[in-house]
Order: sequence, then structure tokens, then C-alpha cells
Amino acid sequence: MASIVAYIEVREGAVTPPSLFVISESRRIAQAVGATVYAFLPVGAISHVQIDQLAEQVSAVGADRILCCSDQTLVGPALDPTHGPVLAQLADHLRPLLVLFPAGGAGEQLGPPLAVRVGAAYVPSASIEIPALDRSPEPQSHRVLITRRRAAGDTVRRIDLGDLERPVIAVLHAGSPVGGLGESYAEVEMLPCPPGKHSELHLLQASSDPAAALEACSSLVCVSDGTPVSDLETLRTELPAGACLGTVGDFELSRATPESLFLTGVDEARLAIRAGAVWIVSGTPADLALALRRARERHGVLPA
Amino acid sequence: MIVLVCLEAPNPGRAAKAAEGLARKLVQGAQIIAVSAGGPLDNGALAWALERRSFQRIIHLQDSSLVKADFLTVGIVLSELARQVRADVVLAGGSSDSEGQGLVPAALAERLHAPLIARVRDVRLADSGRLEVTVSAGGQLCTLSCPCPVVLTATASHDSSSAPDAPTPASSVETIGLGQLTLDSSQMVPRPELLGTQAAAPSKRPRPIIPDEAARYLLGRRMP
Repeated sequence: MASIVAYIEVREGAVTPPSLFVISESRRIAQAVGATVYAFLPVGAISHVQIDQLAEQVSAVGADRILCCSDQTLVGPALDPTHGPVLAQLADHLRPLLVLFPAGGAGEQLGPPLAVRVGAAYVPSASIEIPALDRSPEPQSHRVLITRRRAAGDTVRRIDLGDLERPVIAVLHAGSPVGGLGESYAEVEMLPCPPGKHSELHLLQASSDPAAALEACSSLVCVSDGTPVSDLETLRTELPAGACLGTVGDFELSRATPESLFLTGVDEARLAIRAGAVWIVSGTPADLALALRRARERHGVLPA
Repeated sequence: MIVLVCLEAPNPGRAAKAAEGLARKLVQGAQIIAVSAGGPLDNGALAWALERRSFQRIIHLQDSSLVKADFLTVGIVLSELARQVRADVVLAGGSSDSEGQGLVPAALAERLHAPLIARVRDVRLADSGRLEVTVSAGGQLCTLSCPCPVVLTATASHDSSSAPDAPTPASSVETIGLGQLTLDSSQMVPRPELLGTQAAAPSKRPRPIIPDEAARYLLGRRMP
């Protein structure tokens, strides 16, 4: 059976929301075309209890098996010199049809070198469509289409996974995982960690990246009418989890790959197009806050 | 220290400009060389490089096989140049302005047997002679001490306005053929086409919606 590898990123002891989305999308593909979903979990030297806790989160959204590599060399950020060798080893062993990376930066670091090593197609900022094919009286079948907008913005590129005789490595946009697709606990297999290729690389210091939340958010509300961000606290409290709020000046919009992007002014349309956005909110932050409050009253608690 | 900056041709590209911004931070203590591969000599990238006054050499790799070369071929050619000029640091844009994949630096690093570090935000030459690189990864800004040679890619623009010009900026472009890099273009096997089919983008105009619709979307209800 074909294999799908979903790369799992852990930050501050928890699986990132885009990683859960990647597993959820892998499960969706596996259900349509028949495949085994392997969640690949590279972590520093952590306890079995912590691995079990992470495995529980990963299992719940649809992983069949969890391949965990726990080693001191994987403590730092996901970079090709440290994480590339174990990923290449895994790809060599499983020969996956598809490797999916979550939004948040790991895919940009690890995806291109892996694609070069295994001769795969590489698709950044990808989205997945699974159209059904009517073959009556035969049972229905599905295609898996991996699409991205070219950086030039004028056209899209689309790969049909079934037609390509090569593996595909894709970095998905941020999204919300679909619940209820997985089991309570999937089997965890521990992998040996090959030595890093460039051991002279040393981490000197690390600090919080203010733009990191932007890369991982599934919805972005960007206020572009000159309202200072300090005046947006009312709006912030109304937003669901996974949404990121700020002013245009706060964000490098080119780093964001949300499912949806909302701007409260139309002047930034060019930036919105570049970020793959399709909707613009024509209203003030106060309008949006009011609408969100009404929606909360109508539909109950906002989803987490 | 020798720093090689890869330019996207025919125009330098946003990310390649970012790479030049990083290279400027190394002007004192390094020789900075720009390179473009393929296309005509009078391209926009080379004209831009001459204007910038940050490069002590500007090299154009010229060969008819490079006009439509795939990323792997370009990576091989650039890595051979990096070897020939004994580059300690290769700086490139994280992705091109056209396809936006970022595969050339990966192919270059693989061929050069050098570590690849993407999403570089800052770089400086430490007193120890090693390179200190600040990279955006894992939700953090991490500063790493790097061995050389190393391949770095940049995506964001960098404020290098305070950095000085090169001591003796290049005033002309050197042209190098693949033969001078001991590469035989007839021996280079093109990689299979793996970009996928191309189609018109769905819509270039964002759709205005009212706040109520936005609220519904944020609540997880798909737009009609």
C-alpha cells in the first residue's frame, strides 16, 4: 500500500496546529485512494511520557502509525543539516508517494533538499483537492490534485498524484484539522537517528520570532485602515483560535499562507492577491467585531 | 572570505535582492561576487548589480544550454563556479519571482556538499572567523555559528542602508562559459518536467464580503 508521510512540528511541547492539519489532510487522501499515513515526529531527547502525549494528539487526527526519532541533535530548529539526514533515511526506507510538511517554516528548510535527494516534485504553499471520478457501473474513484499558485501570481500549477511517476513533497498552507478521523492511540515506532551531516553547526541563541504566529494561522485578520493595533483588543477577544490579528505594518504578508485572509480596507488588495487571499472585509474593525459578536450569540461558542 | 551572490535572471528578483542585502553586511572583510546564469549579457539583473556597487566582481555564465535549463542543471553550474572562485558563503534568494520553489539553492548545496540554511534574517562575520547566521525556524529567531562553505537563502528584505559600498566595485561584467568550469553541457541530462500542468489562476480580484460573511467564515462555515 502507498505511504504518505506527514511531518510533525513540535513547539513548546505541543504539536503545532498546521501539523495537525497536515495529518488530517493525509487521512483525507488515504481514505480516498488507499494509503497508510505515517506521522514523522522528530524531537529532542524527551521522555516516553512526553512522546505518548504527543502521539495521542497526532493519533486523534488520523495517523495510522507514528515514527518518532528522539535525539539530542534534533533539539534545535528544523534545519537540513540536522534534520535532513533522518528525513532522507525515512524516505529511502518507506519510498512514500507523498511527503507533506506543515506551514510554519520547516517545509521551506527541509522540503527542497529532500526533493533534490529523492528526485521528487516539490510544491510549496500547496492545497489539496480530491475530486471523485464517476466510473459507473464500477465503484467511484478519486484523483488527488496538488495545486499551488506560482509566485508570479498569474497562473496555478497542478500535479495529479496518480499521473506523476515520482513522489511529491508539498508544504501545505495553514488550515484547520477535521476532527474524528483518527484513533485514540496509534502505534509508535522509534527510529534511530543518523549523524547530522554538518556537526560543526552550533546554536548560539534563540529568541521568539514575532512573525511566527502569522505563518501558522489559518485565518488572518489584517486591519489596514490606520487603526493602531492597541485599539484592536475588542476585536481580538472575538476571534476564534487559529486566527491572527494585526495591522498591515506588523505583517510580512508574503510569509502568511492562511486559508482565509481578511482586510478591513481595499487598498492592500495587491498584497492580498500575493498572499493567496480571496476575500476582503469591507468594513471597519468595529463592524467586524460587532459581526463576530452577533455570530457568537447566534451560533454559540466560537470553535477552538 | 569570499561571498558569492546568485542573481535571478533576467531580473534580479525580490529574494535575490534580499540576498544582496545580506551580502552587504559582509562587505568589510569579504570579497563579494555576483553571478547570473543564462540569458543575454544585457539583462536587468546584471545592470542592477553594476548599479548596486556592492560587488567586486560580476560574473555572467553564458551557454545556450542554460537558457531553458532546469533547476538541477543551474544548481550544478553554480556549484562549479562556487568551487572555482573558492566561495566560503553562497547567498541566494529563497525562491524565484516566477515559480517560487527555491530548488536551485538546494541543488547547489547538495552538489557542493555544503549545509543549506534557508530563511536567513541576518548574517555577520564573527571575530573567530566563523559566520554567525540568524535564521527564522521553529517559531524562533535562532543564531547559529556556521562552518564554511555554506549556502544561505534569504526571503525578506534587509536594511543594509548603513553598509558601505565595496572597496573597488566592479565596473564591468565578466563572461564565463561552461567549458571554463570544466562542464560539458552535452553531458547534462535534463531532469524530468515535474512542475505540473499550468492553468489560469482562479481569480485575481479578491472578493469583497460584508463583515457578517466574514464572521460566518471565521466560525468555520464555508463561503457559498
